[in-house]
Amino acid sequence: MSDDFEAPPIDPITRRRFLVTAGAASLAGSGLVGPLGAFAAGLPRAGDPGELVATAPGGIDLTLEHRDLLVGGSPGRAIAINGSIPGPVIRMREGEEALIRVHNRLPESTSIHWHGILLPFDMDGVPGISFPGIPPGSTFTYRFPVRQNGTYWYHSHTGLQEQLGHYGQLIVEPADRDPVDFDVEHSVVLSDWTFEDPHRVLRKLKTMEGYFNFQRPTLANLDDQMHATGMSLREVISKRLAWDRMRMDPTDIADVTGATYTYLMNGRAAHENPTFPAQPGQRVRLRIVNASTMTFYDVRVPGLPMTVVQADGQNIRPVETDELRIAVAETYDVIVTLPDAGAYTLFAETMDRSGFARGTLAPREGMSAAVPEQRRRPMLTMADMGMMMHGGMAGMEGGSGDEHHAHAASHRPLASGGELPTENLIDRIEHGPARHGPESITMAQTAYRRLDYPGAGLGEDGWRVLTYGQLRALDRPYGRRPPSRQFDLHLTGNMHKYVWGFDGRKWSDSDVIRFRYGERLRINMINDTMMSHPIHLHGMWMDLYAGGTLETNPRKHTVIVQPAELLTVDITADAPGQWAFHCHLLYHMEAGMFRTVAVVRSLGGGPIRADA
Amino acid sequence: MPTRDRSLVLVPILVAGLTLTAAAQDAPDLPTTADRPGHRESAEQHDEAPPPEVETPPLPEGMTLDEVLERAASPPPAAWPDPVPDTRPYVFAFVEQLEWRFGADDAPDHLGWEAWGWAGGDINKLWWKHEGEAVFAGSDRGETETDLLYSRLVTPFWSVQAGAQYANEWHGGEYEDRVSAAVALQGLVPYKIELDASGYLSEDGDVTVELEAEYDVRITQRLVVQPRLEAGIAAQDIPERRLASGFTDVALDLRLRYELRRELAPYLGIRYDTLLGDTADLAEAASETTDNLRVLAGLRFAF
Repeated sequence: MSDDFEAPPIDPITRRRFLVTAGAASLAGSGLVGPLGAFAAGLPRAGDPGELVATAPGGIDLTLEHRDLLVGGSPGRAIAINGSIPGPVIRMREGEEALIRVHNRLPESTSIHWHGILLPFDMDGVPGISFPGIPPGSTFTYRFPVRQNGTYWYHSHTGLQEQLGHYGQLIVEPADRDPVDFDVEHSVVLSDWTFEDPHRVLRKLKTMEGYFNFQRPTLANLDDQMHATGMSLREVISKRLAWDRMRMDPTDIADVTGATYTYLMNGRAAHENPTFPAQPGQRVRLRIVNASTMTFYDVRVPGLPMTVVQADGQNIRPVETDELRIAVAETYDVIVTLPDAGAYTLFAETMDRSGFARGTLAPREGMSAAVPEQRRRPMLTMADMGMMMHGGMAGMEGGSGDEHHAHAASHRPLASGGELPTENLIDRIEHGPARHGPESITMAQTAYRRLDYPGAGLGEDGWRVLTYGQLRALDRPYGRRPPSRQFDLHLTGNMHKYVWGFDGRKWSDSDVIRFRYGERLRINMINDTMMSHPIHLHGMWMDLYAGGTLETNPRKHTVIVQPAELLTVDITADAPGQWAFHCHLLYHMEAGMFRTVAVVRSLGGGPIRADA
Repeated sequence: MPTRDRSLVLVPILVAGLTLTAAAQDAPDLPTTADRPGHRESAEQHDEAPPPEVETPPLPEGMTLDEVLERAASPPPAAWPDPVPDTRPYVFAFVEQLEWRFGADDAPDHLGWEAWGWAGGDINKLWWKHEGEAVFAGSDRGETETDLLYSRLVTPFWSVQAGAQYANEWHGGEYEDRVSAAVALQGLVPYKIELDASGYLSEDGDVTVELEAEYDVRITQRLVVQPRLEAGIAAQDIPERRLASGFTDVALDLRLRYELRRELAPYLGIRYDTLLGDTADLAEAASETTDNLRVLAGLRFAF
């Protein structure tokens, strides 16, 4: 069988040496087979993905099956792709055709979605939208031309399979010269793993609020909060009562936490310390993808600056920074250079600080550097409810002088006719009286631009942190023109009942969102909830309004919308067909935070029910 | 505060049960999201001028652009699965109290329990509540109440419920039971107090109300103290149940639990309950005790 998976050698012209992550993270790093039974000791470890080239002659085969693997040293039942989690790193070459045969040896239906890849809708891999799924025992052949380059990933779009390891990295080599200069490259696939049945995880979320949060406000941590914030006991108590009064928990940063998760880097837990070999002076390209289901990571290499060169597979003007937050489903490529022959820790701390993944950049296997102390978990603030109107909030862009202009702009004819502005967009909007019904706890009174705010828990450590406001496309992407139509989309949820949606509705209660083929349209996303949501559009780019111009705003496949944020994306509707549009937090998506987008000939006609 | 203008005024009303009213919204004077179109309004307002030409992308094998666009305008084939099963029902059961109630002095010990659960979706659920108390020392006696209700989430934090209650009592060889119509309002009030207000109309035409409120004080991440208040109200004298019109009884509990898991917590506690007003007088006249202080030990668990 293994013959099927043999990949032809990669195009010999390329000057780069492809380091297979499998070799990079060896057993030597851990020395931890530990007190496991003979059963466990005989199991292969997670984190040996290998590499395949999908545009090579003959294409590639991927086989999906349940497999017992050691995850962080303990036996777990995973959905393995060609025997491993993560699945193999798949490479493609821009301008060629990818050919991938997916063999489903699971007892259930499955799928693979090529995240961020532009392709015909029937190749997009979303059961119920692009195709019926891949039934057990059958093979589905994906075949599509590769029209872009950069770092992407792939994953199951069926049920909760992604939680069990059904994901991997996808790298598309540019047809022309790569503007990114580097000597070695490494895949860094971040993910979260649980030994529980993911359906049990979802059931717990649905039936017991805050089930996984063990960092709540308690009497025992009053003192800690006083010390951390410099507030008096009285102030701390009154602040807590204010949150209780709103029936909200300011420590609700992540729904699923280290209480059940093992955090993985290339399939390896922190104590297994995967090594990323690099010689001093080399330009090391880290292709970082967050393949988690629910975990935002804050990534840094203490002691080394990182130069961010790509976001979501798109080349950007290099930005030097010290830390970046990567949402579920985002990718960032960064360049680092080791100044000496020492070891440097690649540290990926979860947003809620309930755990971390970690590896080591070093000239040799087996080296390690100090692992940073974990920071205090952040708490939500009044700013996350949009209550900063006159506070001079850091991260508030645009002066008060823009206010008149802003409000005038919001009164302009809404949807039809001329071109919408592409610069100096309104910077805030009051929430109207509509509360979106029982499925939305509408917290944000004002939605505002938060492009320069790095996110809860970041920005106060004395080092630089990447923000969306810093992202600028390296070259002007195609299809840029002012949009002629716009609409608002509220991100809504009832965290008390664990219901998530848009405009107060779940997918099953929603209409298909129509885009008109060829049009350029704008979506203003308004986050009414207290959580950050990574919103992903399939099939088309979202041009993120990052404070730049038509020329320079970056394009993304996944955008973080922070609590109380007003975030604008422009889209060229050039991909006919139906597509998924959803929050990429797996359990939010499963709870209904999902829409079907249809790119159609005409916007006329009655609503199309998404759930036919 | 943001909750003020949408907070609910909850009026548990005797006689007819309970009603719910929403406080009026203040009209905002700044432009708001209400002035802006959602995707449907935006599509409706859009003129149909021909869009600029775009480069035709690769299409599914064997399909023309027109075919794809037409296909996109209709729902996917019915045989295809839903992309997200967001209507999946859940079943949940929670034994909130299963406890031994140690009587003071020579008062008998009781076994007490209270459980609830539901089955259904996010908005509509079938809800049940069950509680009871039994004494095994001396003459065997006890009582239970079981409510079966349809529950509907009407606001983010509040459900209204309607259904029936079956209650029974036994004492030695005697056995009595009754069926009542039940309505309830259940939810979370500001400051995170869980509230359940239930109204009953019995087969004999008697109206009663039961109120329950509880609040979790977290001492550590797993150690929680929960004060809890229960009160009973009768709308008229009900001699056969030895209840008099007005507040009939109140119980105040305090339970200290340790969450081994969120769904499994042993606890210790105390409970003080007393009859009130004319109901207490009725008991006194019959030489029965009117109040009790008990020490509790029990287990709380969920399925």
